[in-house]
Amino acid sequence: MPILCICIFAAHEYWLFYYLDLDPINSLIDSVSSTILLSLCIWGLYLVITSYPTKVGIVLYALIIATFFAILAGYVDGLVLRYISGRNDDEYIKWLDDTMPLRYLANWVICGWIGTAVAINKRTQEVKQKFQLQSDAAVLLKEAELYKLRQQLQPHFLYNSLNSISALTMIEPGKAQDMISKLSEFLRTSVKRESQDKIPLSDELLYIESYLAIESVRFGDRLRVRFEHEDNVQAIMPPFLLQPILENAIKFGLYGVTGEVTICVQIKMIDDMLRVIINNPFDAAAQMPRGTGFGLEGIRRRLYLLYARTDLLETTIENERYTTTLKIPQ
Amino acid sequence: MYKAILIDDEPLARQLVKALLKEYTQITVVAECGDGFEGYKAIQEHQPDLIFLDVQMPKVNGFEMLELVETPPSVIFTTAFDEYAVKAFEAHAIDYLLKPVGKERFDKAINKWLQQMAAKQVTPIEPLMQSNVYEGYQHRIVVKDNGMIRIVPAQDIQYLEANDDYVKIVTDAGSYLKKSTLSHIEDSLDPQQFVRVHRSYLIPVSQLMRIEPYEKESHIALLKCGAKVLVSKSGMARLKKVLGW
Repeated sequence: MPILCICIFAAHEYWLFYYLDLDPINSLIDSVSSTILLSLCIWGLYLVITSYPTKVGIVLYALIIATFFAILAGYVDGLVLRYISGRNDDEYIKWLDDTMPLRYLANWVICGWIGTAVAINKRTQEVKQKFQLQSDAAVLLKEAELYKLRQQLQPHFLYNSLNSISALTMIEPGKAQDMISKLSEFLRTSVKRESQDKIPLSDELLYIESYLAIESVRFGDRLRVRFEHEDNVQAIMPPFLLQPILENAIKFGLYGVTGEVTICVQIKMIDDMLRVIINNPFDAAAQMPRGTGFGLEGIRRRLYLLYARTDLLETTIENERYTTTLKIPQ
Repeated sequence: MYKAILIDDEPLARQLVKALLKEYTQITVVAECGDGFEGYKAIQEHQPDLIFLDVQMPKVNGFEMLELVETPPSVIFTTAFDEYAVKAFEAHAIDYLLKPVGKERFDKAINKWLQQMAAKQVTPIEPLMQSNVYEGYQHRIVVKDNGMIRIVPAQDIQYLEANDDYVKIVTDAGSYLKKSTLSHIEDSLDPQQFVRVHRSYLIPVSQLMRIEPYEKESHIALLKCGAKVLVSKSGMARLKKVLGW
């Protein structure tokens, strides 16, 4: 602001003194008066524009205000100069009148330019602030959603497992103990992993194994799970993605078909993309038990939040088998 | 001596009930079943006094199975889901046991039943007309066919006709009779797909081919399968609403 004033002052002085050959005293008075008035106007302009409450048409508003201040500055400048320098000098007054349009124009250009700049600056800052808020909200939402989705582990699984344990305590206490430790391991991993973003595939597979161990105790001979994976698949993946898919596969399989059910899990690495393919028998006519479907929807949502892609989870039905393919970019 | 049947898809859950029943020497477990089909067959075969029934089971759920039994025995539900309790009690279930089943709670249920049996005050379980234990509408109807359970997918239905105490379900593979009312079936199916066009007829909109005027104020609907179905005045209004005419 002060630099701007000095610049205006210098330009004005240069113009009057060298260009128009005005005498030093009059040119100095003229410059000081014009610069002070213009500076006051710019200050006022700044205050009015920044406190402008609404967000629409701020540039137009700034221009109108600028025009008003330019006219005000020019008019007051004229009055002041007429009073100070032109008291006994008709020639000066004539010259002053001749230069008035130019003064108005110069004032208007400067005020308009500064006003617009202030307005645009203000707008930019508002947009920036809004953007910041929105991205903060998005981060929060993402965290909340991830948390909620991880909570989708159905309590029915727990109740049914406890019921099985209860049965085992009466029939085979040794096995009951075994099942309790498997269940504890499963629950411990579930809780521990809450805060981790990415885990090695081998960890997720261990988790899945403890889950499957419990399910196979519950369903006995009816449930078989076959793992097919290439040796040494080194990969990382977000935790808790496989368990809901398997849970779904088990439900679809066990509730859709009577007798023995085989679920296949294939793990492959193709072009830096981890692929997990889970396949289970399926009967379209059977009514699906509660809760199915949400598991997959939740995974789709999580994958979208993590990778911003919607093509990472695919399901197909072919020859009465339901196949879920999960892809994890490495 | 009372006969009991255990119907649950988890073998350990059945074993738990069996173990808890051991001290009640007056109750014998005559059969154990892993799904609704087996359960239905076993009930027909053994005519038990009491069944322990899980709700979520392969193919047909517990409520659907119960619907098909002509004279159902006393029922004690055992399930991990508490959502169906109200429905179960509405149907006069003896009790509704939540898994994991505790001994104390189990004994209470059995003693309640034994007392009712001794006093001959057992209220027979009412067949649940609407087996809609899942949210939303049913996409199938479970029927009996020569002593077997058959699942009729909603899309295979050509039309449904009221027939005294029964509903005749007509499909391309033949027709089945189910002991129920047309209103109950109407309530369980998606109203956007099935329209009650007449007091005695419920038709899937997808089967509709042509509607012709018939006598005064009523119409006749020609279905894709070739059947002609009466459409009443109010039935026509419902049809127009669904089809958006």
